Amino acid sequence: MATLLEQAEVGPEPTSAVVGRNPWALAGRRLRRNRIALAALALFLLIVVLSLAAPLYAKYVAHVNPFPPNLNGHTVVNGKVVAVMQQGGGTLHLGETPIGPTWDLGHYFLGADSVGRDVGALLLYGGRSSLLVGIGSAVLCCLAATVVALIAGFFGGVVDAVLSRIMDVIWAFPVYLLAISISTELLTHSNGFQFGPLHVSASSLWLPAVIIAFIFVPYVYRPVRGQVLAVVNKEFVEASVAQGAGNMRLIFSEILPNVVSTVIVLLPLMVATTILTESALSFLSVGVQPPNVSWGTIIQDGTSLLYTRPWVSIAPGIMILLTVLSLNVLGDGVRDALDPRAKLRIEG
Amino acid sequence: MKLPAARSARLQPRSWRRPRFRHRSGLSAGAAALGALTLILAGCSSGSPSSSSSSSATAAAGHKGGTFTILANSAFGVADPAQNYTLQQWQLLIDTHDGLVGFAKVGGVPGSKIVPDLATSIPTPTNGGKTYLFHIRKGIKFSNGQTLKPSDFVRTFERQFTVPGPTSFYSGLIGADKCSTKGCDLSKGVVADDSAYTLTLNLTAPDPELMDQLSLPFAFAVPGNTSLKLTGNNVPPGTGPYMWKSYNPNTQAVLVRNPYFHVWDATAQPDGYPNEIIEKFGLQVSDEVRAVQNGQANEVFDGDQIPSDQLSQLNSPKYASQVHVNTLTADWYFALNTRRPPFNNLQARQAINYASNRAALVKIAGGSSLAVPTCQILPPNYPSYTPYCPYTAGSDHTKWTGPDLAKAKQLVQQSGTAGMKVVVNGTNDQVGKALVEQMISDLDAIGYKATPQLLSNSVQYPFVQNSSNSGKWNVGWSAWYQDYPAQSDFLNVLLGCGTIHPGSDASPNIAAFCDKSIQSKIDQAETMAATDPAGAATLWTQIDHAETDAAPWVDMYNPKQIDFLSSNVHGYLWNPQWYILIDRLWLS
Amino acid sequence: MLTFIIRRLLWTVLVLFVITVVVFIIFFKTPGVDPARAIAGRNPSAQVLQEIREQFGLNKPLPVQYLLMMKSIFISRDLVSYSNQGVKVVPEIAAATPATLSLVFGAALIWVVMAIAVGVAAALLRGTVFDPLLMVLALIGVSAPVFWVGEVANLITQGTWHDTFLFSWVPPLGYTPLTQNPGLWFRGLVIPWITLSILYIGLYGRVLRANILETQNEDFVRTARAKGISERQVLLRHTLRTSMITFVSLFGLDFGALVAGGALLIEVVFGIHGVGYLTYQALANLDLPTIMATVVYGAFFIVLVNAIVDIGYAWLDPRIRPT
Repeated sequence: MATLLEQAEVGPEPTSAVVGRNPWALAGRRLRRNRIALAALALFLLIVVLSLAAPLYAKYVAHVNPFPPNLNGHTVVNGKVVAVMQQGGGTLHLGETPIGPTWDLGHYFLGADSVGRDVGALLLYGGRSSLLVGIGSAVLCCLAATVVALIAGFFGGVVDAVLSRIMDVIWAFPVYLLAISISTELLTHSNGFQFGPLHVSASSLWLPAVIIAFIFVPYVYRPVRGQVLAVVNKEFVEASVAQGAGNMRLIFSEILPNVVSTVIVLLPLMVATTILTESALSFLSVGVQPPNVSWGTIIQDGTSLLYTRPWVSIAPGIMILLTVLSLNVLGDGVRDALDPRAKLRIEG
Repeated sequence: MKLPAARSARLQPRSWRRPRFRHRSGLSAGAAALGALTLILAGCSSGSPSSSSSSSATAAAGHKGGTFTILANSAFGVADPAQNYTLQQWQLLIDTHDGLVGFAKVGGVPGSKIVPDLATSIPTPTNGGKTYLFHIRKGIKFSNGQTLKPSDFVRTFERQFTVPGPTSFYSGLIGADKCSTKGCDLSKGVVADDSAYTLTLNLTAPDPELMDQLSLPFAFAVPGNTSLKLTGNNVPPGTGPYMWKSYNPNTQAVLVRNPYFHVWDATAQPDGYPNEIIEKFGLQVSDEVRAVQNGQANEVFDGDQIPSDQLSQLNSPKYASQVHVNTLTADWYFALNTRRPPFNNLQARQAINYASNRAALVKIAGGSSLAVPTCQILPPNYPSYTPYCPYTAGSDHTKWTGPDLAKAKQLVQQSGTAGMKVVVNGTNDQVGKALVEQMISDLDAIGYKATPQLLSNSVQYPFVQNSSNSGKWNVGWSAWYQDYPAQSDFLNVLLGCGTIHPGSDASPNIAAFCDKSIQSKIDQAETMAATDPAGAATLWTQIDHAETDAAPWVDMYNPKQIDFLSSNVHGYLWNPQWYILIDRLWLS
Repeated sequence: MLTFIIRRLLWTVLVLFVITVVVFIIFFKTPGVDPARAIAGRNPSAQVLQEIREQFGLNKPLPVQYLLMMKSIFISRDLVSYSNQGVKVVPEIAAATPATLSLVFGAALIWVVMAIAVGVAAALLRGTVFDPLLMVLALIGVSAPVFWVGEVANLITQGTWHDTFLFSWVPPLGYTPLTQNPGLWFRGLVIPWITLSILYIGLYGRVLRANILETQNEDFVRTARAKGISERQVLLRHTLRTSMITFVSLFGLDFGALVAGGALLIEVVFGIHGVGYLTYQALANLDLPTIMATVVYGAFFIVLVNAIVDIGYAWLDPRIRPT
């Protein structure tokens, strides 16, 4: 992003003083003026807060522990005590159906899932996992991609070619194979991974986060590298070189600050993408693993109940929709704020 | 026999269909005839509204005709009958092929009796029980027009060894020990005389279970010029009322009438009613049910698990005559790894047996109409079964009424294993995951720290069998369905010292349970079977109770099976060995 | 230019090679996997396993096994699945391809037409309430998880309202080949097409609108306006072509990814037995030959399309540095 011209204040009594502001402050102001983006941010933060409040809801409002199965449990609906799992009727009594939504915040608000757990409470806990994995992997991804793009764009030549080809390989790599293989590998080691002092258990949320981050590095790499290439040729960089700046100084002081805005624009969009990917992987049972739940795993649980208890699948989908929507709108707003003339370009 | 059935089929990958396992440690005994006797003594099977006894053959020719369509979620793997170990294909193979003997193709308890099929009678063995002389029927043709000769059986038995697959059933034949996929010489073990039309089987040692094994489709006759190698998805010609027209595991299998068939014994191999039998693969189970409801197909393959939301639909009185529920001689259980703590300790094992909430587990299976809680090894309606459940609340030890948490916690304290970490291994489909979660909840309630380990179906079964993984799990899910009604099929195969094979993916004694005194009783019962069947049966009952007391498993429940048929299907028969008899159904 | 193309294509082959090697290694590193046991059928004895290993060359060093597998995929095309040795993998994939192609082509047609309509309409209606409305709808399309939309679609068309006139024409889930029954083929694909295209209509509609708006400030458009051409003509004749560059390149990439098996989720949710569905089955069953073949098929498409798009860019705009 080009630096704006700064004009010094003229005279002790400026009549039409143009106060220069740094570009970040200007961007912030533009963002603040964008009401829709602010609304989206508010919605996103609301969802985050609700998800973080999951333990509070479970303990004080719903009075359940939503993780263990509750097949023999009971709850109160309209003042009457009912079983959470109800046996089929007719003459054959086949099947056990969980209760549907009671719309009562204190008692199985959204009904029960196929093992009798409180879907409402699970939904909030699921939000924690989905958001943690989504935000974590987006941040990891952007960091990694920026580093690689800086190296590739700055050094150019063979380094650039090799790194870009590696990115091609990753991009063409079958996502699901990687996820399934890593999951199976880790699950069969009951103690998870041991990296020196670091211990990662098989059901840790870090695993899907890292897998997803890895998959999308090429996606962020392309536009960031493009930006690095554009900046590397600018005059001020040449000037710095002429002044005798070393590589590190060039990268960190000249190039990186001008590339950061690209990454910041991408960040909300990447969180949106990673949340969607995590839900897809969890839906296929290779994302978040038990005992953790995520919105994707709840949707999957709900598919066997789709026609009798649709809310078990619908509710988490709506949550994903709202979260990703708010992130997309916010992302638009951030992009407009950082460069009002920026093209809406999603680099493939 | 193990059946990992696909559940919540919406997302279930095409997994191994219903394999049946049977490993034999050489000499074993079970009394097939005795089995039938005790079945009758044990009483009728389920108290379900389905009629499980066959109406006396009202097989009028007027019922013939039509195409019978079965819908199955996935195909049954490779179709060569020498290798295929799935009930799914076996239900079709009994209509296209015949063996020397077979289970009577009738419904109800008489269906577990073995009757002669291609042989004229069941011979009494001579030579100390090691030689069986069969007279083969004349005038029977294969579906390609070739006449059946005794020498065809030589090729049939050779293929048991040259085609990779379970070889243990017929390893008692002389010369079998030298047979391999490279070649097989059974000239001493299987002697065919095409002029006298006899077939002689010579064994290395007496085997009272031989007739059961000859009744399995592995031993059904194929022409003598069938390749010794795997025939892939082409099924060799057979002598049954139907023949295989085509099989494409991605689309469908088609059976049409065998033009050369005629009835030689209506109990062993009656003629079939439908003109064509088609089995289509690849639909989601919920869509299969819908199709049968709409009359677009005739049967949902009974191995497919119907999802809960449709089970409740089937309760409607509209479907009363189309839904049949039958008890299966099968166990769904969690094996306890007796190789390492905490479950190398008897009290710890008993503790989890007392704590396990079988009512909740039954609900996961679909409710009490679809599963019956159990504590013991043998399933109901099985030879030597007498109800026994020590791990229940209350003092009635014949059935499970509820968990006894106080006793369980006390046992945990006494065992000194409180607070230990426990890994619970299971499959990652809907039902498997729920069962594991319930087990974890029960373990946590009595003071353990349990975590899940969910693997996909095709990986989980070999994983828990292989001793090199023994350090990674403590409680492992499994299921076992009978191969044929012999007590050893459960009590010795799953819990005998001889079926622990270290380092192998095929070691059905998952718990690695080996108790010398119980094993000596097993050996005794096996030798007694020929001389004193009644005594052997009583001994097997004692063995069942002793193994239950030793708590190598948490046995959860005995499942029931649903057959859902379209409204125009009649003549439903349920055979305890093959379950639904497809070609005996007629369409209106 | 020619050297650029050749170099790009050579890189393509190299990338393919690397991918297949990595897949091969990952598979053999995955525990619980023993191809010999899968091939040997159920309950084999140790002796049988040993014989299988010799027969199938499974005790040869990995590089040799890799080369044998590549040979049987590309040259002799007789690679056999581990899950079912009666099935040859390459013909199996070939048989599954029409289902994927039917799905992707149909959806692509819908989304291209609709995205152009949405993008143009939003640009034309700029300033009215319809512009933000269309963009919000587009955003919703982009934000919904595609498999969830599919499940909800099933809920509506197969469940609750299946018997009403609205959806009684929807057949049970599954794919019918075009040659077998064109009517059923079409009816069975309508809902999957719509579900798959919702995401892309949103995405491409937004891209197109932004590009149009940006192009409208360009000099040549100003010239056209100055000449007195109507706004609509300006839009359709002059602006649209330039705006479509990004659209086309993105389309190439997404289409390639979908044909390569990226429609896996839709195929699984709607029971369409295409390449994506096969991939998913193979992964769950750890059936290496099928996995390898689908990976080769998929990676080939993606890398090829990437290369074509890059070549196209370089041809269109000589300033772009060949990478």
